[in-house]
This record gives sequence, structure tokens and C-alpha cells, in this order.
Amino acid sequence: MNYNLNSLPAGRVKSSTWSGLKSLLKLVEQERKKLVLAVCAILLNSSLNLLGPYLIGHTIDKYIQTKEYHGVLVFSGILFSMYTVAFVTSYFQTNLMGGVGQRIIFELRNTIFNKIQQLPVAFFNENKAGDLISRVNNDTDKLSQFFSQSLMQFIGSIATMIGAGIFLLIINFELGLATLVPAVFILLFTRSMSPWVKHKNALNLESTGGMSAEIQESLNNFKVIIAFNRRDYFKKRFDLANQENYRKAIGAGLANNIFLPVFGLFSSIAQLTVLSFGIYLITKGNFSIGLLVSYLSYATNFYNPLRQLATLWTSFQVALAGWDRISQILSLSTNLVTIHDGTAEDQHAPLLEFRNVHFGYQGGFEILHNISFSMEKGKTYALVGPTGGGKTTTASVMARLYDPLQGTVLLKGRDIRSYTDGERAEKIGFILQEPFLFTGTVRENILYSNARYHGFTNEQFLEILKEAKLEGLLATFDQGLETPVLSGGESLSIGQKQLIAFMRAVLRQPELLILDEATANIDTITEKLLGQILDKLPKETTLVVIAHRLNTIENADEIYFINSGELSPAGSFREAVDKLMSGKRLS
Amino acid sequence: MKLPLSAQKKKSPGIFSLLKPYSLMVALLILFALMSNGLNLWLPKLIGQGIDAFNNGNFAYKPLLIKFSGLAFLIFIFTYLQGIAQTYTSERVARDLRTRIALKISAQSFAFIEKTNPSKLLTNLTSDVDSIKLFVAQAIASIVSSIFIIFGASILLLSINWKLGLTTIAIIPIIGGAFYLVLRKVKALFKKSREVIDWLNKVINESILGSALIRVINSQQLEYDKFFDASNRAKDIGLNILRLFAWLIPIIVFTANMAGLTILALGGHYVISGSMTIGDFAAFNSYLALLIFPILVIGFMSNVIAQATASFARIGQVLDTEDLPETGTLTSSLSGAIEIKNITISYGQKSLLKDISFSVNPGARTAVIGPTAAGKTQLLYLLTGLIPATAGEILYDGHPIAEYQSETFHSQVGFVFQDSIMFNMSIRENIAFSDTVTDESLAKAIVTAELRDFVDTLPEGLNTKVSERGLSLSGGQKQRIMLARALALDPKILLLDDFTARVDPQTESKILANIGNNYPGLTLISVTQKIAAIEHYEQIILLMQGEMLAAGTHAELMGSSPEYVQIFNSQQSTSNYEL
Repeated sequence: MNYNLNSLPAGRVKSSTWSGLKSLLKLVEQERKKLVLAVCAILLNSSLNLLGPYLIGHTIDKYIQTKEYHGVLVFSGILFSMYTVAFVTSYFQTNLMGGVGQRIIFELRNTIFNKIQQLPVAFFNENKAGDLISRVNNDTDKLSQFFSQSLMQFIGSIATMIGAGIFLLIINFELGLATLVPAVFILLFTRSMSPWVKHKNALNLESTGGMSAEIQESLNNFKVIIAFNRRDYFKKRFDLANQENYRKAIGAGLANNIFLPVFGLFSSIAQLTVLSFGIYLITKGNFSIGLLVSYLSYATNFYNPLRQLATLWTSFQVALAGWDRISQILSLSTNLVTIHDGTAEDQHAPLLEFRNVHFGYQGGFEILHNISFSMEKGKTYALVGPTGGGKTTTASVMARLYDPLQGTVLLKGRDIRSYTDGERAEKIGFILQEPFLFTGTVRENILYSNARYHGFTNEQFLEILKEAKLEGLLATFDQGLETPVLSGGESLSIGQKQLIAFMRAVLRQPELLILDEATANIDTITEKLLGQILDKLPKETTLVVIAHRLNTIENADEIYFINSGELSPAGSFREAVDKLMSGKRLS
Repeated sequence: MKLPLSAQKKKSPGIFSLLKPYSLMVALLILFALMSNGLNLWLPKLIGQGIDAFNNGNFAYKPLLIKFSGLAFLIFIFTYLQGIAQTYTSERVARDLRTRIALKISAQSFAFIEKTNPSKLLTNLTSDVDSIKLFVAQAIASIVSSIFIIFGASILLLSINWKLGLTTIAIIPIIGGAFYLVLRKVKALFKKSREVIDWLNKVINESILGSALIRVINSQQLEYDKFFDASNRAKDIGLNILRLFAWLIPIIVFTANMAGLTILALGGHYVISGSMTIGDFAAFNSYLALLIFPILVIGFMSNVIAQATASFARIGQVLDTEDLPETGTLTSSLSGAIEIKNITISYGQKSLLKDISFSVNPGARTAVIGPTAAGKTQLLYLLTGLIPATAGEILYDGHPIAEYQSETFHSQVGFVFQDSIMFNMSIRENIAFSDTVTDESLAKAIVTAELRDFVDTLPEGLNTKVSERGLSLSGGQKQRIMLARALALDPKILLLDDFTARVDPQTESKILANIGNNYPGLTLISVTQKIAAIEHYEQIILLMQGEMLAAGTHAELMGSSPEYVQIFNSQQSTSNYEL
């Protein structure tokens, strides 16, 4: 599956305003009850606000024109109680609708994060971290702004408009029609411009993602930039991305600003229509001054929210563009599904077996060619060979970070794809070449996702470490288990990170433990200690060691040479060395 | 209404100080906004005149049509111009602010970046700048024109009937007071909400950067739970802010409605008693409608201002950082003689290096060995000036690093980092990372790092793009590219940090021989684990827990340092068989 978000076929996710809106509305489903309440409050509130001008117009005609002050006071009283009700509905309207917005964004954020968690490693390899972060943060933020701030105004404005439109038509149908004609032009204009505006905003969001990726890369690699005196490099690359972002943002900004003046123009035209047509009607005797005054405020009530809608429509287009980018992520699914396989685990089968495995990364060459081997329970295997030969790739396929293109991987005689992720992670431990630590403490990192020692005190946990012979490894951490780990683990040396990764994997007691140059930056004395720890593991544990240093692999029962994506067995360590000594080149 | 505004201004430098360089653009923006809004005020007046004219029986269509259409067209033009001015001003402010932040960052030390944390800086450069952009784009013009409309409408109201006008205008301080109270409470919440966003970003960043580990351990659920906590907190703060704001709009609308009621009751009285015309009465109603909208706008904008102020304060922390002191002026070439004198590095209580002294002769090879966390990498960082020493000094040809012009210095000292650092550029750009690299030195570096064959297998050769975190390359390939990057400088001094860790032994010995042949006279300082490769070096430094236990040649150390002998023995069983 192609996981590169920036090269996904455009047709797949390109949505029109309405289909985009529909899929957005799906998010709202759980909120239906609250939403109905909110819409009720909005409708009640809007109609109360609309009724106001009508009653005022009525009062002018009936009482002020006829100079009956008592009637004016009566209607003032009615209006007062109406406004008080409106005060309450208005509060509920904001609170309910805003709450809906907040919860939708909450759901949306969680859904995206959850989706990203389900995607395989390949997804992360094919996308830049900065771009992903921008999608999850920035694009959701655009949606969030729409939902939390604009949605309520949006619905409120539309409700007010519809109400005002109905009043306009009821009071005087002819005049009403004439007043609404400019709105039709606005509608047509909006419809024809929206796709273009959305496209401009999509380009803008894309350049924001690019800029974010640029910043992320430079900041994470800052020490190289300093050591090579290339501060200008950071500036130059950033300026380029910044300038590009500026251009795209201007494009989007100009597009976004097109709605407001046009909406304003048509609403002026509408007012003019009411005035001149209204006066014409009065001269014909079909209309009154009082009605004209309230009619003018209905026209304002219709066109003012329309002008507001111009602004809201823009933020809606921005939100839709963000939604498209988010949908791209949501449209992906993992290519590492758990398949159903009837065969049971076979205790006599090798622990792990490769059968004619071929593998290559997405869009690249085949890296592993027809690899077959099997690994027995309780033995130690070493994978050696020159850099770039395919050792790490082989290990990644073993741990099912990827599936082979051809051939099968069997775990205990059963297709590895038939194990759930949980079962597999329990059986296979993999210490990655580049150790990764989370912000927190050393203890939290060692016990990361390890339920077995949950709730242990430091003393109890130290006992466990002592038993596993792991305690000695803590010596290099100045505050022991509670040594803080800062962002990205930069406060620790690579050797220390490798020690933590090692403890983390060993304590999980996997049946198959893969060490991918896991001790490369650890000194030879500590490394001996690691060897002793591995010896203490249960007898059934199978070890797969990838290393360049021979002392790391001298205890291997069997050594495999991997070169140019091909694997050849080289017997035991002794045999391999003997072959080497007798002048046979193996790699 | 001016209370929150002036409260903002007291802070120095306030967010408005940001606009100074753009005063012309801002002035244009405000001018256009005032024009379009001012003209908008005229429309009800025209309508009122029309109605009165009709009432008095001297109504004519033509002048009304001409005046009205002319006005509507002008409003259209000015609104459009305002939009353009708004876009250019806000985007320019945002772009320049980003440039300023980036410039500031680029002038900072490595320690600063580590301390400030890259993901916070990323938020500064993106979301924080965005909220300031929103402020410039929307708040300035709307607030100025809102205040203008409020003033204009008030004056017109007063001129029509001052008594009725005054009672109507009384709503402004009431609404202003409500804003002030709500905003004062919201401010603290905004700060919290920014902090939660940082927290969210951190969880997202770690889940992306640690994606492989998370999948190996199958801890996706755990990551989701972490995220959920932060996300939930963000939601709660959002709801709290909302609850406060939910009071604001009803109060405004209710107060405005009360004003409308006053106009009806009191104005009705005036019309009935004959002291006010019905046309003026209609105009009064229209102006009230005009008055409410800008008040609402200021309400929404105060939200934008509050957020922008919070963001600007965060950006201010970066911008206020002191620049690194001016670099030195020495441009002489380095001989390779280095003097390390009583160097100590400590963070708080903890000392990473304690009183280290040794010297390096030009052209000599020095090895630094020692266990994990001995301070070896710190020593190299110190030698390149990445981090400062707490005490002691380092002299190159008798001068501290600070006295050298940084370009001169860094172009003569090559550093191969322990961790793979690749940029998302072509392999050529990754290696020729400095401007000074010539094609010739690039070619020499590639051959020396044994990369020629590998590069030749790539269909696009040196122009092949490396993916962001270098994932398409193996660990050894990345390390060799990093070596080539350092060698391409044609350095006088080369610092290797555990370079051999990920390169297979044959390639390693080839590379070391190549370095000797292709870069004669190079001063080499190499952090390593393997004694076999450094036995014949002129000097070996043994570090342990930040202390220098011994220094000397291999033979000397074998005789004098039991720790060295221990390390040596630990490697004996197999080091005969370097493949």
C-alpha cells in the first residue's frame, strides 16, 4: 500500500463541498440529542429576535402613529419579557452548540491519533514527521476553529436568515420576492467560487505542512548545523519554505476575502430595492410606513447574517481543506492485517522459519531475495555481513514490521500473520538499532508498556532487576531509576539509551529476542555483563544477534551471513572463524 | 470597552509594538476599513431621508437611486481593498515574525535548542505565529472600525435626539464591563490551553518518532491512552472557556435589546408629543442595529487578542534570548595542536567531566576510550564548541575557540557524530554540507569513506534523495555518509565519535587506511570501544565517570592502568578474529 500522503491519488479524497460536509456531519452523530436541543434553542432564540422588529413595527403603526401611549407601554412590557426569554435561550444556544463543537473536535483528534496508531511502520517511513505533526495539529486546529467558533454562528445565521426570509414573504409577498432576488445572485456566486477558494486553502495548508517538516528536520539536527557552521543553511532553507508559505497564504487570503465585498454589495442592493419598491407600494396603497420600517429591519436581519456568512463560509472552506488532508490519513488502513489460519501452533516446529521470503520497500528494489532458514527454540543465532546487506531488513520482517512480498514467515509452524499484534509482541522482542526513549524517567522507560511489574515500588522493582542481573546496568544513571529522561532522550548518551532499551526488552521475557546492533555503542566490559544477563534468560529463549563486533556473537550456535539480500549459513562461530582463517572469504 | 485593550498595552513589549514596522500598511488597512464602514453608516441616513421625504411628499426616485448606488459601489470597492490590505499586512507580519524567530534560533547554541525543546519551537513558529496572524488580519481592522462605528453611531444618535441618544449609549459601558470581567477570567485559561497544546504535541511527536518501537512492543493502546489524557484535558479547558463566553453574548444581546426597548418607549413618547419625526425614529432604530454589531465584533476580537497576546508572550521568550557573543576574528589555519586545560562540565550537582587536562600534538592520533556515560561524547562536543565548559579552557594553537572566527574554525574541524543525522536532501548535498566544499574534495571524501561502490549502485547516484530520517539507508551507510560529510571539509582536525560501531570491520580498516593515505597530517581524535584499532595511536585517554584515569601510549597504559588492562582483556578472546 502506498502510504505517502503527498502522492496519494487526488481523486480518492477530493470531495466537493457537500460530500465533504456529509462526511463531516457523520462526526456529529453521537451528538444528535445535544444538537437537536441546541438547534431548538437557536430557532427559539432567532424567532424571538425576529419577532422583536415586527412587534416594534406594529407598535409604531398602531400606537405611535395614532398617539396612544398606553399601547406603547403594553407592548414594551411584552417585548421585555420576550427579551428575557431570549437571554436564557441565547445562553443555552452558545453553551450547547459550543459544547458540541468541543466534543466533535475531541472525537476527531482521538480518531486521527487512533488511526495513526493502527498504521504500520511503513507509513512513518514514507512521510515526514513534521508533515504528519502538522496534519494532526494544524489541520485539526482549522477544523476546531470552525466547529468551536463558527458552527454556532453558522447555524444561528442560517436560522435567522430563513426566519427573516419567511417574514419578508409573509408581510408582503411581492416585496419579499424582490428583496430576496439579490440573495439568489449571492448563492450562485458562492457556489461557483467555493471550489476555487477551497483549492487555494488546500495549497496553503500543504505549504504549511512543508514548512513544518523543514523546521522539524533542522531543529532535530541542530548540532550538525552548528558543528558544520551552517547556521546560514537553516536560515536559507527556512526562508525558502517561509517565502513559499507566504505566497500560498497570500493566494488563500485573497481568495478568502472575495466573499465579503460581494455579499455587502448585494445586501446594499437589497436595501435599495426594499426602499424604492416599498415606497412604490405605499403610493399604490398596499403598504404602510410602519411596515416599511420593520421591513427594512427584516431585510437587515436577512442580509446582516448573510454578510457574516461570507466570513463563516471562508472558515468553512478552510476547514474543508483541512478535513481533506485529514481524510487522507483516515482513508489509509494497515496492510498488516491479522489473517485467519486454521493450523494450530506446532510445538515441534522451529520457533521461526522463513520460507522463500522476498522483500522490498514500497517503491524500491527487492532487497531480500528468496531467503529461507529456520531457528530453533533456545538457540542463539547471529546475522553478520557488510553494511547495507539486509540484516536489519531481515530482522524487521521477523518481527513483522513488514510483510514479505513473496513467501511466508512461520512462527511456531503457524503463519506469523495469523497472530494478533498482542500475541506477536509478547513472543517477539526486538531491540532496534536506534533506541527511542519517551520523556519521563528511566524507570518509566524500562517498564514502558510492561504490565507485569505495574504498581511495584522502586525497592520491589530493584529486587526484580537484581534477580535478572540487570541492576548493575543502572550504575551509569546518576539518579538510578528516577533519572529524568528529557525530550527525545538527548540528556542521555546513546550507550545509556541502548542499556535502557536492552532492559526494557529483556524484562518482557520474549520467546524470540532480536538484538539489532543493540550494544554497538556500549563498552566491551559492560557488554560482557549484558552477555551474562542474556545467559540468565530462560533456556527456551531464542536469540538473534546482529553485530559487527565478534565478541558479541562468539556464543552463537549458528551464524548466517547476509550480503546483497542473500543469506547463507556459516555454521557455528568456531566453524566460521576456521573458514575465515583458512582463507575462505565469506562475504 | 477600552479596559482590556489598555490592559494589554501596559505589557512591554505589547503585541501592538509588533506592528510598528508596518505602520504604513496598517494605516492603509485602517483607512480602507474606516472608509468602507464609514460609508456604511451613510446608508441608513439615506433611507431615513427617503422615508422623511416621502412623508413630506417631496420624494423622488432618481437622486435616491444615484446616491444609493454610488455609495454601495464605493463600499464594495473599499471592502475589497480592505481585504487585500488585510491579507498582505497579516501575512507579511507573520512571515517576518517567523524570519525573526528563525534568525534568533539560528544564532543560538546547541544547549539552547535542547533546553527549549524543538517541539515547543515548532509550535512557536507555526501555531503561535498563526494566532498573531489572525490578530493582525481580523482584530486590528475590525476593532478600529468597530470603535469608529460606535463613535459615529453615538454621535449621530446624539445629534438626532440627545436625551434618547444618551440612554441608548448607556449600553456601551455595561457591555464593556461584562467583557472585562469575563476576559480577566479567560486569560488564565488561555495560558493553560496553550500548555495543553504543547503537551498534546509532545505525545504526537513521540508517537511518530518512536513509531517502530511502539509497533514492536504493541503499545499503541498505551500511546492512545496518553493522548486521550491530554486530549481530554484540552476539551475540558475548551469547555471552561466556552462556559465563560456563553454568558457574554446573551448579556450583550439583552443589553442591546433593552436599548431598543428604551427607544420604543421613550422615542414613542417623543414622537407622540411631537418632539421627534417618525423618520428620525426609524433612523434611531437603524443606528441601534448598527451599534450592536461592532460591540459583538469587539467581543469576538477580544478573544483573538487574548490568544494572540498569550502566543506573543511565548514567542517573546525566544526573541528575548541573548544572542551568542560575537565570534572571534582569528582566521589563521589550525596546526592541530590542542591544549585541554582543567576542563570540568557540570549540570547542577552532577559532573560529566572532572578536571580533564591533556594535549594533542599536530598530526597525532589520540583515542578516547572508556565505559558508557564516561563523558567521551561530551569531551568531543566541548572540542567543537557545541557546549561550553563549566571551568577550564581549550586552546587551539594557544587560542580559545571563541577567538576564532566560527567559519574558519568549523571549516577546519570535522566531526562525525555518533547518531545518524541525515537531511532530506540528495546524498551529494548531505555530504557537501558546507559551502566551501569543492567537487574535488567531495570526490576524495566519497572514495575515502568507501562510498563509491554504494553510490554507483544507485540509479540516480549522488543525486538520490535521502528520506527524512535516513530510513532508506542502513546504519553503516549513514555513518559513512556522515564521515564523508566531515572529510569533505578537508579538515585539519577530525573528531570521530564511536565511528566504528556500525561499520563492519573490513570496511572500517579500509576507511582508516584511506584516511591515513588521503589526508596526511590530519590530527585525529577518536572515541572508540575497540582497543585493537588504536593500539598504535600516539596517545590513548582513558575516561571513566567523567574522570581521566590514565593517558599514554598503549604500551604505557598496559603497564600502568589496571582498568585499561581490564578493558583490553575483555576484548582479547575475539579481537584476534576481526573479520
